[in-house]
Amino acid sequence: MIPARTAQTAAAPATRRRRRPVARCAAWLAAVLLLAAAAYIFAGRDALPAGQVLQVLGGQSVPGTGFILLEDRLPRLVVGILAGAGFGISGSLFQRWLGNPLASPDVIGIGYGAATATIVAMIYLGLTGWGLNLAALAGGLGVAALIYWLSASGSRTGPRLILAGLAIGAMLQAVIQFLLTQAQLNTAADAIRWLTGSLAPSTWEKAWVLLIALGLVGALLPLVIRQLKLLELGEDAAAALGLRVGSARMLLVLVAVAMGAIPVAVTGPLAFVAFLAGPITAALTRGAINIGLAALTGAVIVTVANFLAANLFADLSLPVGVITGAFGAPFLIWVLVRANSRGNGG
Amino acid sequence: MAELEATGLTLAYDKVTIVDELSLQIPTGEVTMVVGANGCGKSTLLRALARLLKPAGGQVLLDGSDIHTRPAKEVAKLLGLLPQTPNAPEGITVRELVSRGRYPHQGWFKRFSAEDEAAVARALAMTRTTELADRPVDELSGGQRQRVWIAMALAQETGLLLLDEPTTYLDIAHQLEVLDTIAELNRTRGITVVIVLHDLNLAARYADHLVALKDGKIHAAGHPSVVVTEQMVKEVFGMPSRVIPDPVAGTPLVLPIGKHRVLRAETLLAAKGIKRREPAVVAAASDTAGTRRVASGPSAATGLGEVRDELRPSHEHCATLAFQTEVIRAEKLSDSFRRITLSGPDLEHFGTNSHPLDLRIKLLLAAGAADGLPAELATMRPQGLTSPSDVAGWYQRWLQIDPAQRGVMRTYTVRAWREAGHRDNLSEDAPELDVDFVLHGQYVDGHLQGGPATEFGANAKIGDRLLLLGPNKALTDASYGGIEFRPGSASRVLLVGDETAAPAICSILEALPSTVTGQAFIEVPEAGDILGSSTASGVSLHWLTRGTAAHGELLEAAVRDAVAIPAAGVVETNTDPEDIDVDSTILWETGQNPAGPFYAWIAGEASVVKSLRRYLVRDVGIDRKQVAFMGYWRQGKSEN
Repeated sequence: MIPARTAQTAAAPATRRRRRPVARCAAWLAAVLLLAAAAYIFAGRDALPAGQVLQVLGGQSVPGTGFILLEDRLPRLVVGILAGAGFGISGSLFQRWLGNPLASPDVIGIGYGAATATIVAMIYLGLTGWGLNLAALAGGLGVAALIYWLSASGSRTGPRLILAGLAIGAMLQAVIQFLLTQAQLNTAADAIRWLTGSLAPSTWEKAWVLLIALGLVGALLPLVIRQLKLLELGEDAAAALGLRVGSARMLLVLVAVAMGAIPVAVTGPLAFVAFLAGPITAALTRGAINIGLAALTGAVIVTVANFLAANLFADLSLPVGVITGAFGAPFLIWVLVRANSRGNGG
Repeated sequence: MAELEATGLTLAYDKVTIVDELSLQIPTGEVTMVVGANGCGKSTLLRALARLLKPAGGQVLLDGSDIHTRPAKEVAKLLGLLPQTPNAPEGITVRELVSRGRYPHQGWFKRFSAEDEAAVARALAMTRTTELADRPVDELSGGQRQRVWIAMALAQETGLLLLDEPTTYLDIAHQLEVLDTIAELNRTRGITVVIVLHDLNLAARYADHLVALKDGKIHAAGHPSVVVTEQMVKEVFGMPSRVIPDPVAGTPLVLPIGKHRVLRAETLLAAKGIKRREPAVVAAASDTAGTRRVASGPSAATGLGEVRDELRPSHEHCATLAFQTEVIRAEKLSDSFRRITLSGPDLEHFGTNSHPLDLRIKLLLAAGAADGLPAELATMRPQGLTSPSDVAGWYQRWLQIDPAQRGVMRTYTVRAWREAGHRDNLSEDAPELDVDFVLHGQYVDGHLQGGPATEFGANAKIGDRLLLLGPNKALTDASYGGIEFRPGSASRVLLVGDETAAPAICSILEALPSTVTGQAFIEVPEAGDILGSSTASGVSLHWLTRGTAAHGELLEAAVRDAVAIPAAGVVETNTDPEDIDVDSTILWETGQNPAGPFYAWIAGEASVVKSLRRYLVRDVGIDRKQVAFMGYWRQGKSEN
């Protein structure tokens, strides 16, 4: 017994990295989330006086501060957290299923599908609220189905699906450009601002819509994660373990697309949040991607980006999407280079 | 214990039929291996047996009922499958992965129970991966990883385990590690195992039941010792082979025969579809308890002993045969040469299917004062019955016979060969061959005294019998002989030799085309030894009569004359060729002239050849690839 243990500890430094438990990571992430949210309210350019904030939160009516806090900052934070969580879940589900960090919905065109459908709904159908959410969902699912069909000849390998997705994404960007040229000037300006991804139009109503929609889809998550644990072993292995692969795969895509498309209708496509959340989670725990943790990471990313967007430049308030895009793009390049050197790239 | 069976199973992908009306019963409690060429449908069959593929026709029966009428999860409690390339998610630990094998035993949203925990622990212990439980799967070696996957399938706790190529991408030690793990599970837990395996030899070793698939049909099925034959390997894999008992396990061992790097006789046997061996018979006791195992340990020896090769006519499998002949003509060519013509029905099997240039044979001289031939050689006559293992090592066994009985063996060369019915044939119904005997020795009382060959050549008379050993026509080709004359595209040749090389040089000259020019020098003892010869080529032949000169002296002078040392600076002279002690080693250095315009061929007494070699290579600077040097004999030694 003793020699065996010695051998194990001797080998440990070389081969074994200490894993970090998910719970501890979650605690840290929650702390960062609270800190970023607090910073957004109490610190920075337009810091609100702490005393007044506490009074407002205590239920008192404080003119000015009360309005800014309740009608602007808090809805923004709530929508940001919900959207970030949705993106994080969506991205990490796809990434785990296909076993490739590139397989996130914003990279493989599903995000663009949702965006295109939302723009059509916005500009041509004049929809708002629930309608936009449904349109985004329909657009995302439409693209998911298309990619799936395109990559389905032969085996549905990750790289194939990713390439098909990249092509569709490029095509949809052209469609969006076309739609914008056809729109009236001020509608087009609104649409462009939305396309960059922004928390500015957040309201309590939108937050509620988001919460309910994501909550409904989220109810399926435990089942989806259970099935994902088998699907990610490969379809034959999953089937051999008694999983009905066809329906499990369908449900997974449905939930993952919904989680990513529903927030798009509200915040616009926040670039790279879905793509970043999963790998960051994996790096933090030094293990597999944990879906719940990815949701939390997504929320943290959006909240921190929101704070930075508001305070990075002295007299300029940037849309959140600019920040996530600016930080996400280098990461995408890093993943591509790393995947290439390991030979499993998309 | 679950029973698995396929009846009339037809499997197809997109209307392309892969498996065709196949029926198969998996022996319960045994290890079944499925082998076959790429694309024969073995993996497809395994997928269908595991319910992953819906048959286009027929059924897979699990415990008697159609596997597709039963829910997936229920089937997964009885039957586990390890696909060929399962995918380990990044960062997952061994324990997490193995735990996933418990899925079929868990209900909706049910937590991981103590029972699941115990099953995982058992699976880890059985595959000796407990130590690895907390390590990430990506960090393991190939063999460890495969054991972890097996552990996952074991955690499923099924009585049936199907594995698709579990040893692919593993090195040989890890392949054995994995197969040993599986064999152990089968033995200790009684799990029925079905494995698709690439490696025929490992399959034969580890299987209780071997199924060979060809084009989606069962070609053969049964115990490996019955199924694995040269015939089966040829038909299923389209590859000739030899099958011998595995000296380690006693199971059949397949040795593939390709086109290259194989003994010529094997290639020719294979090309003719001649099988060395019938199915090896290992005690084929069928035993209902399902406890029969591939022989291992002490019992392996038994298996080995029982595998015998069968006696068959020698001409079917021996590359070298013994031919009984009779002298039908003896003709004095000169004082130094006597041509003996030999004939006999055995010679029907003699030859190399080519012009008999320097076709070497061994003469068995003065064998057995009595008429009897040594049995070792008698059985090597074309109709003699031998088994391949009898024949191997005949020379060593012949050497062990009392020298007085065994006679002596001398290597000679066939000067001419005439098939039966040849217009110059003396005998009408049998092939015949001429051997020119070189007579060197002294006359004592009117009788030539010399080596045994000289004496036989001098004294042979019609009706004398002579056993010779030579090539089997069915199994040898033009590369048999020792002529080593490979001029490539040379248009100018130099042929040099003493009387021992005279027959070979004459043969070469007869075969040379008219486009070749050059010179040939043959040194013979005296003018009477000059033989008649003919050539269509432009090579001029010079006979040198030695007279009182030293052996080789005239040859050397002639060669120096014919091939002058180039003027300084014309060519770069080569370094001295490495020295060869011609008294202890045979000087035999042959090149393959690739494209040079010149080719030289030097043969005869070894020290003369060595001296000429030194001159041509060092002084003249000829590329050694363009010259063949062959020391046929050594002055002062009686060996040929």
